[in-house]
Amino acid sequence: MSYLATDVGGTFTDLVHFDSRSGRISVAKTLTTPDDPSRGVLNAIALGQEEGYVSPGAIDRLVHGGTTVINAITERKGAVTALVTTAGFRDVLEIGRGNRPDLYNLHATSPAAFVPRRLRFEVRERMDARGHAIEDLVLDDLDAIVAECRQANVAAIAIAFLNSYANPLHERMCADALRNRLPGVAVTASHEISRQWREYERTSTAVLNAYVMPVVDRYFDRLEVALGERGFGRPYFAMQSNGGMASFAWARTHPLSLIESGPAGGVSGAAAIGEWLGEPDVLYLDIGGTTAKCGIVHAGSPKLTSEYHLERTRTRPGYPVQLPVVDIVEIGAGGGSIAWFDAGDVLRVGPSSAGAAPGPACYGFGGTAPTVTDAMLVSGVLDPQSFAGGSMRLDRSAAEAALQPIATKLNTSVEGAAGAVLRIAEANMLNALKLVTIQRGHDPRDLTLVASGGGGPMHAARLARELGVRRVVIPPYPGVFSAWGMLVSAPRRDLKRTQLHQADEEAVDIGRTLFAQMQREAAEYFEVEPVDLRCFQAVEMRYRGQEHTVSVPCRLDDWNAAQLISAFHEAHEVAYTFRLDSTAAEVVSFHLKAELITARPTLVAPEAVSPIDETFRARMVDHGPGGQCSTTLYSRDALAPGFTAPGPALIEEPSSTTVVLPGQRVTMDARGLLAIEEQP
Amino acid sequence: MNELARHRETPLDPVTQEILQGKLLAVVDEMGIVLARCSMSPVVYEVLDFACGICTVAGDLVAQTNGITLFTGTFSAQVRALHNRFAATMAPGDVFITNDPYRGGTHGCDFAVVRPIYDGDAHVGYAITVAHWLDVGGTVPGSLPADATTIFQEGLRLPGVRVMRGDQLVDDIVAIIRENVRLPELALGDLNAQLAAARIAEKRVQEICTKYGRTTLMVVFDGILAASERLARAAVRALPDGCYKASDFIDGDGRTDERIPIQLTVTIAGDEMIFDYTGSSPARAAPINCSRGALHSAVKTIFKAMVTPQAPSNDGWFRPVQVVVPDGTVFSAVKPSPTGWYYEGSAQASELAWKALAPIAPERFSAGSYTSLCATYFCGTLPDGNEFVHIEPQHGGWGATSYRDGASALIAVTDGDTFNYPAELLEAKFPLRIVRHALNIEGGAGAGQWRGGFGVIREYEVLAAGTYLYASFGRSATRPWGLAGGREGSLNYIEVQRPDGTQVRLSRTAYHPLHAGDRVRLVTGGGGGWGSPQDRPAARVRDDIANGYLDPATAASDYGSVARSPEPTSAA
Repeated sequence: MSYLATDVGGTFTDLVHFDSRSGRISVAKTLTTPDDPSRGVLNAIALGQEEGYVSPGAIDRLVHGGTTVINAITERKGAVTALVTTAGFRDVLEIGRGNRPDLYNLHATSPAAFVPRRLRFEVRERMDARGHAIEDLVLDDLDAIVAECRQANVAAIAIAFLNSYANPLHERMCADALRNRLPGVAVTASHEISRQWREYERTSTAVLNAYVMPVVDRYFDRLEVALGERGFGRPYFAMQSNGGMASFAWARTHPLSLIESGPAGGVSGAAAIGEWLGEPDVLYLDIGGTTAKCGIVHAGSPKLTSEYHLERTRTRPGYPVQLPVVDIVEIGAGGGSIAWFDAGDVLRVGPSSAGAAPGPACYGFGGTAPTVTDAMLVSGVLDPQSFAGGSMRLDRSAAEAALQPIATKLNTSVEGAAGAVLRIAEANMLNALKLVTIQRGHDPRDLTLVASGGGGPMHAARLARELGVRRVVIPPYPGVFSAWGMLVSAPRRDLKRTQLHQADEEAVDIGRTLFAQMQREAAEYFEVEPVDLRCFQAVEMRYRGQEHTVSVPCRLDDWNAAQLISAFHEAHEVAYTFRLDSTAAEVVSFHLKAELITARPTLVAPEAVSPIDETFRARMVDHGPGGQCSTTLYSRDALAPGFTAPGPALIEEPSSTTVVLPGQRVTMDARGLLAIEEQP
Repeated sequence: MNELARHRETPLDPVTQEILQGKLLAVVDEMGIVLARCSMSPVVYEVLDFACGICTVAGDLVAQTNGITLFTGTFSAQVRALHNRFAATMAPGDVFITNDPYRGGTHGCDFAVVRPIYDGDAHVGYAITVAHWLDVGGTVPGSLPADATTIFQEGLRLPGVRVMRGDQLVDDIVAIIRENVRLPELALGDLNAQLAAARIAEKRVQEICTKYGRTTLMVVFDGILAASERLARAAVRALPDGCYKASDFIDGDGRTDERIPIQLTVTIAGDEMIFDYTGSSPARAAPINCSRGALHSAVKTIFKAMVTPQAPSNDGWFRPVQVVVPDGTVFSAVKPSPTGWYYEGSAQASELAWKALAPIAPERFSAGSYTSLCATYFCGTLPDGNEFVHIEPQHGGWGATSYRDGASALIAVTDGDTFNYPAELLEAKFPLRIVRHALNIEGGAGAGQWRGGFGVIREYEVLAAGTYLYASFGRSATRPWGLAGGREGSLNYIEVQRPDGTQVRLSRTAYHPLHAGDRVRLVTGGGGGWGSPQDRPAARVRDDIANGYLDPATAASDYGSVARSPEPTSAA
């Protein structure tokens, strides 16, 4: 089998090819082409063809991921979009939830709505909470709306009716009518993308989906045509935010499901590594140029959040997206993050970043602000000569000059300043890692940490030691890990139904019926029989009176209510330290995860490309407490399975450098994964 | 303490300081997550009417969750009150509980759970959480009777007692709570959530002590407070010295609709500020009063908004602030004055400070807002025979600023990360239907070069007999103030319409019976404007008309010639 994945990032477009017969992985990187990202993708593919490892006719699966959707939203380059709601509710989109997370800022506002008020229309109809129509849909109300949409050149329409999660009939009728009367206009009815309650969140989700649909449609059109011309066979897959992949056809009508496809690729890759290592629980960390992202794989699957918000920060409420998205915590701490002193003279690192331009001072592109990369260079982790495979020389004196003001203020050497910058950056990363582990009920001592990105392998050993994780694993080609993760992900759908009920035998019956329905829906979607699917069931439950739920994995076909309730008590105790055995439990929603059973690539042992350098190489590196020490250097492509060495050591490869601390040991396993563990 | 004294003379390296401050903020965040997600009360998990913090042994707050502003200044007074009474007998595994408004608290519904933090045998600080329990007994479900004349109508009061000893619940106290509240399952659920949050905090602080040393932590506590104090004093020094006055009215106290006069003089002298509320009305025999603890929160909220809105809160910021008021005013209630709706008094105290300072700090303050949390309760019986209490705050219009229109439909100053209640959740749980949730365009907002933001209209249809309403809507007679020539905003009110068409208008109401088919319209006002309406660009007026924020007739009366200027040819 021959697999190909492309990941369009902000700066680079990555390509990873995997040949399951030889086990060979090939990678390519080109610049992203923001005006039309499909050009960058084709450039990367052309590189692969030139190098000889990509032959279009022989590709069995092509997966595509990237930032097209999130960029269209962040840059507000989506379509002119209208909204149709139940009469009385057109302002829900603008009202939002009315919270002020920036609570002491008396100039705070809610985020601006994606549809202006004049394009928000109302029709008469009403469902109640049980899905009974208490007022029929008045289709005549659409006449005026159609006329106004034509006049305003509306290209996309979202429909969001109250209680449509319980019964989507009116939304469906309205969508049919609008599609008939406005051909060429992209229509999204909220139930097509979410069957969960909370009207503002579902409306926001439908609006964002409609807003990007024309953009993504055009983009996939161009890409499909171009791929076809180059001889690539269908089907093409798109990486989704839930860690699974979907056909292009599905992605075109549900583009919002691609919103975090890059990070989802990384978490999927971490899940696959966990599977190979027999580790169901994995902590994933990716450190790039501007941010560090971390997520969790639990019981073999990426942990998802149902409370994802776009553009949410500590001070901004952001826009809710009611779709399953890998649960990622992202903080502004990466290689380009700038160190600075705040008004109280406290040293801080990030969130502002020198980015790719001007970049860290040591790049020599004109940057003068001290960054994490500059600190890595001064501490000796990075080598001026061998950075990026020797393609770019780093300027140590520029890094020292940038760090000097910090050294002066802290009354220390530039090496001391570099150490301080790294410790603070790592303290920030550590707080993010704790947020996804300890604060969500996962004990780090049970976890393996998979680290990727240019920066992950440099920081992972120390973060792992602080956090107490069992071991660190550095995958091959950590710099293109998201694309690699897309290769190993499976086609997948997440379906969810909200139905509030007391946790009793009747609820279990309801659950069985809903799971069967959802399983049929998933099978239809994949055009297979239900037996071709691997299905996971979970029920979101809570104590009566609580609002928030705990997700309880289950097998309702074999379970009775008592078993479900007992599993809930346990899950609640794990998450929140206590249980209330005498309090009644409720079920809130049913979540089915359906994966298509297909062949997936697996890693094969690499062969050492070049023999280990006979001459012993080492340099002085500052590993923090204990100060400078002589550190052995290895080139990753010279290592073969069975290799093992004590720290301190550095393992260099073109896209990153792996740090092994004194007291740790690094080993290369049969698949070419590097594992770092504390020595007993 | 000698070791500590020595350490204090040589300050800690700033890197460790920064790292430990980050850890303490992560601890209070974790407390907040545990509390919000485990709570049984909608006021906690939807309205986020709770807060968590860590205090020093001396009671100084060093880290706090960002939830709502009402608890900005209450923690230290509560912790000090407990410390003074129990320091001699405190032991590891003790946890205290208090809801006493006269000892640093707010109102009877807010229960503070305080756990002394020990590292081994050494007492290193306090973990505190406070959360609004849905019902604590008293004359009405929800425990906030609008017609209370003394605190004894507002339910159970525990003035600082041990609820845990040696990490075991004190059964006697639990039994008292269980027998004195209407929904004991909820109350004890919230108590559990608060105990879990406090337990987590102690565990995390112990981990910090183990790793960095107890003394280091003490030095970090000092450093946090000192750094904030320095920045606060510098900010005050930058303001012009002088006296700044403001006066306003509280509209109705729950028992009468009288307008209650209140006033404030702010004195800035060097790097200190005095907020003097002397001259405000005496306390009322009604629940509108707040006590000193809540008044301090009100002042600190505005001070923080002026000095440094985004930085994490701690007591260091507030060292330049002095609050002056005699005992027994509407802002300094003493026993037995009721304080059920203390947040209404507190909101007005905040707005007085805001109004006094807005002219000298326009970059921080806007024109007046709808002010009142407009807390609304629907109570009644579910189809299964169980009682229900539904509480929700109302969001409303905020004032314009010197550079843009006011914000629409935001939560009042007393709160913060507080959400409105989704219609779909409500309809699935209660015999109520929401027929409209819209911006209050017809009520309007203050005109100006920049106009105020709009309030909201939430219209309910009552589906079951035996439902009733109580609510506390302020600013029902005194409009939100405009600034720099901007006009006043609009009023908050409730309108109940019977199926026969008869209507009644309410603002603060103790008990209003409802019938199936009644329509209840909850209306919040728009904020005040900034600058003369004549200076509003014609394009903005036209844009407001096109989007239906302004009808042509109002446009003509508010903006006159601006609104009549020629329209450009129609845009695509």
